[in-house]
Amino acid sequence: MTPGEHPDGELSDLNIRRALVAAISRADRERAGQLLDHWAARHGYAAAYKDLLEPALKRIGRGINSERFSLAQAYVAAKVAEDMLTKSAGLLAQNSEPKTVKGPVVLGNAEEDFHALGRRMVATMLRSSGWVVCDLGNDVPAAEFVDKAIEIGARVIGVSAMTMTTALNIKEIRRELDARGLSGRIQLAVGGAVFLVAEGLCDEVGGDGTAPDMLEAPHLFAELWARGERGEDAR
Amino acid sequence: MNSIQRLQCLMAGEMADRRMFTMPLSQYGAALTGCSLEEHYNDPAAYARGQTAVRETFAPDILFGPLIVAAIGEAFGSKARYFDKGPPVVSTPAIEVASEWNGLPFPDPDRHPRLSYLREALRRVVAEHGREVPVAVLLVAPIDIPGLVMGLDAWLETLLFDRPAAEAIMRRVTPFAAELANRCFADGAAFVVWTIGFASPGFVTREILQEFSRPVLVDTLARVHGPVVLHHLEFPLVANLDVLSGLPSVAGFVLAQGDNLKRARRLLGADSILLSGPASPWMRRAAAADVEAVCRKTLENRRDDPRFILASCKGDMYIDTPPANIHAFRKSVEEFAGDRR
Repeated sequence: MTPGEHPDGELSDLNIRRALVAAISRADRERAGQLLDHWAARHGYAAAYKDLLEPALKRIGRGINSERFSLAQAYVAAKVAEDMLTKSAGLLAQNSEPKTVKGPVVLGNAEEDFHALGRRMVATMLRSSGWVVCDLGNDVPAAEFVDKAIEIGARVIGVSAMTMTTALNIKEIRRELDARGLSGRIQLAVGGAVFLVAEGLCDEVGGDGTAPDMLEAPHLFAELWARGERGEDAR
Repeated sequence: MNSIQRLQCLMAGEMADRRMFTMPLSQYGAALTGCSLEEHYNDPAAYARGQTAVRETFAPDILFGPLIVAAIGEAFGSKARYFDKGPPVVSTPAIEVASEWNGLPFPDPDRHPRLSYLREALRRVVAEHGREVPVAVLLVAPIDIPGLVMGLDAWLETLLFDRPAAEAIMRRVTPFAAELANRCFADGAAFVVWTIGFASPGFVTREILQEFSRPVLVDTLARVHGPVVLHHLEFPLVANLDVLSGLPSVAGFVLAQGDNLKRARRLLGADSILLSGPASPWMRRAAAADVEAVCRKTLENRRDDPRFILASCKGDMYIDTPPANIHAFRKSVEEFAGDRR
């Protein structure tokens, strides 16, 4: 029996919530998938994401047992979200139901940055929250970010950087946005390990916002998208 | 008292004339000599000139061989990108999935050009300074090597969802990691620093730490013939020190800026060397007075701890870190010694 499970094996909604947090925290992707399937059988996959997985991810994001959430746990959380996305997308296709989408947004690693893992996990979290993501990959020049955002009508560009050197390359994207008169209308989200230790770095590189981890990314992008619609340059 | 004598005092648990202090100023040496980073990371003589300039300018108590972990990935066939302003990084891993390890040739530490560069640069720094200043070399622990060879995603995927494959990879990587460390000891390294990202709470769960990372470290460290210092890499490490204490060959730990040093000392006991201080990204942007204040606070925290070394953490010092900040680091040590007398 794992934490959150009832002794007789029956799982109430409350216990499923607890068990899901426990499963992701110990990086148990299979068990997390079983719990989500169990919930979805009663309430549907849309509710499984909104009412079960999303709150669980938020709770995990606040920290488990006051220790930092590990990369392994974050990776499993992203995989669980991806699994959910695959299952619910399959069901939507079968039912021919219209799907609510957000975005599109552009994502990529800053020029000269090759640390793909964080970016990929953010992309997964965004997609599982309903965002259409155009992922440009590693080592993306500033102009390419902006060109792509214009081409697809993105109001948010998300840039990941692992080191101080590559984070500073984000300034070029801000310069591109300013030069083309797009600041405010296209918002710049920044993130990566170095932003956690270098206080004020988001402002320094010209970012409109940052999130402490990938679990917070959908919330950040929603906030920036709304600002982009208002054409608000909050810097 | 020179730095070797200070280290001898520290090992004996005695207070020296002042605290030892160090920072990895590997690429900073290139900035001091006006050398391009391309030459710096390819010419051992150019690298050694950089460390001479570091010693003349800042006089740290420990010098370093090249901090170039991407070279280990290159030795396995990964491609690296070199930059004008920072260290190289692996841009294209040698392989993509765990099964490809089976046919992967392992590099010879004596012959592969990237490892030869690393070791020759180390030998030159040791030859010039090793009688008075300990010289360390930063390598990666076996648990971190696959990230440089197959990419972080693929290694994490394997570790989380195919543990037998991860263990099979470690059976091949472990002898290589130990051998490379031993060759560096033969080249004159006073100690080897190993990053242990995959043993830190920021990277892995307790289950992975206890069931995978620790056994691999025990096995590898038992084959190493010299003192190893384990490095936190990115995140605070103290929460895992209870599991990491008592490892063979481990002389000490480099801990993160946010780590609780009192707790670390309690968990590791009196004999372990602790190294900690401001993080290099923070030092790049801080005011010199703030650097001095943080160093001072850290020294105060460890006032009666004979086996503490003030050291910057996280990684190599950025080349555009103001020299005044590095001087402030040193000044804090000197003034703290003056206060104690």
